[in-house]
Amino acid sequence: MGPGQPEYVGMTRVQLLDAGRAPITAQQYYAEGDPGPIVAALASVPELLGPTLGFVAAALGRGSTSVRLKEFAILRTSALQGCQFCIHAHTSVSLDIGLSPEEIRALRGEVPLEDGFPSESERALIGWIDALAGATGPIPDDVWVEARRHWPEHVLVELTVTVGATMFLNRFATGFELPTADHVMARLDAAGLA
Amino acid sequence: MTMVASRPAAVTVPSAASGPIAEAVASGELPGRVWIYSNYHCNLACSYCLTESSPRSERRQLTAEQMLAVAEQARSLGFTALGVTGGEPLLLPWLPETVLAMAHQLPVVLLTNGTLFAGDRIKRAAMLADPNIALQISLDSHLPDLNDMARGPDNFANVVSAVPRLVASGVRVRIATTTAGPLDSPLLDPLRDLVRSLGVCDEDHVIRPIVRRGRADERELGVLAAARDIPSELTIAADGAFWGSFGPTVRSGRLDTDLLLTRTILPLSVPANALLATMRGLPEGADASLGIR
Ligand code: SF4
Repeated sequence: MGPGQPEYVGMTRVQLLDAGRAPITAQQYYAEGDPGPIVAALASVPELLGPTLGFVAAALGRGSTSVRLKEFAILRTSALQGCQFCIHAHTSVSLDIGLSPEEIRALRGEVPLEDGFPSESERALIGWIDALAGATGPIPDDVWVEARRHWPEHVLVELTVTVGATMFLNRFATGFELPTADHVMARLDAAGLA
Repeated sequence: MTMVASRPAAVTVPSAASGPIAEAVASGELPGRVWIYSNYHCNLACSYCLTESSPRSERRQLTAEQMLAVAEQARSLGFTALGVTGGEPLLLPWLPETVLAMAHQLPVVLLTNGTLFAGDRIKRAAMLADPNIALQISLDSHLPDLNDMARGPDNFANVVSAVPRLVASGVRVRIATTTAGPLDSPLLDPLRDLVRSLGVCDEDHVIRPIVRRGRADERELGVLAAARDIPSELTIAADGAFWGSFGPTVRSGRLDTDLLLTRTILPLSVPANALLATMRGLPEGADASLGIR
């Protein structure tokens, strides 16, 4: 593996195109170096990069809802879907934005939710996320009513889009066995969150 | 395939296409020709083959319906010409009828290694005697041994036997010479004479360099070329749409993806628009004068 090459833990089911093999229509995503395994896998169908990354960025990135709530949706959904790649990546992001290790462990389902989230309103929101990402079929009215009691409708609409986009990423990363970067694993190890 | 068995009633008339592709073609910003890789397998296995083609290659072929759809949509988008290449296209039994139908949309140049015209096969090729069709046949040297070293045993004999018979049956033939040397070398003069003697005029004799991609890259043959050095002709293959006919090359059994535009090939507007957008966003190449064509 040469200098500047990404170092990933594990193997992947699909080709991760490096800068030399990146399609001419995907090169903008490589302009600042290794774009990560999601882009490197998607680059095999370069016409999907723009629309997919545009949607994902809008759904997961900064929006009208706080980044704290967005990370609730992303990390909790990834844990419910059992996506190791996204759990690792968003544990790291959660640390970046200031979530505590207790909150992270609670979102990852490793400790009871109440241990990390004493706030009733945040638990109501996580209840809505659980109903979306942790089950199939209709969602009981009481879950919605409880979430709406604490949160405006537009927040729930935005976070529902975040949950949906995260579920797409979860299945993409899990299906293709996308590898976690070494530096992410090292960071989680150091924080006791690997 | 009933859709290609009979000759369509329509005749080629200048396209009345409008839109960004038609405008870019009309202004010369975008090349007018669309290339189609009909298949990847070949009866030969040339040393500089861009696609590592051989009799054992995976076929990865387009259907006749896809090729016709490309031709129809190319015309309505405003492209002005078509090219069919491979692999060896004439290994596909339905290819002549399909090319004939495509030629009712736009003029077609059909690339072939010229080795499949022995005996009665020449009669089938005669159906390609159409003002909108040219056959482009490879011949690399006037010296049989030298030609055959790169292109395989008996290639020279097959080609010099086929070309006059094709010309006699009314087929327009172009000769393509791929060379590792200078394009204007006097060493090519005897080959030019030979080509003339086969009934092919100078303007139908194309001399181009080996491009260092595919098998040529493995053997370190030919010129290195960046995207800007390769004519940005839209190229359609079973694997997707590419920047230039040198795009869908194969190395060590793996498709090169660096010149991939889109995996979507139809509707043709998807890769055509991607090509135009990429052209407009790409920096100038270091050398656009390598004579690659
Ligand atoms: S260069 Fe042409 S004739 Fe030679 S192996 Fe490749 S496809 Fe066949």
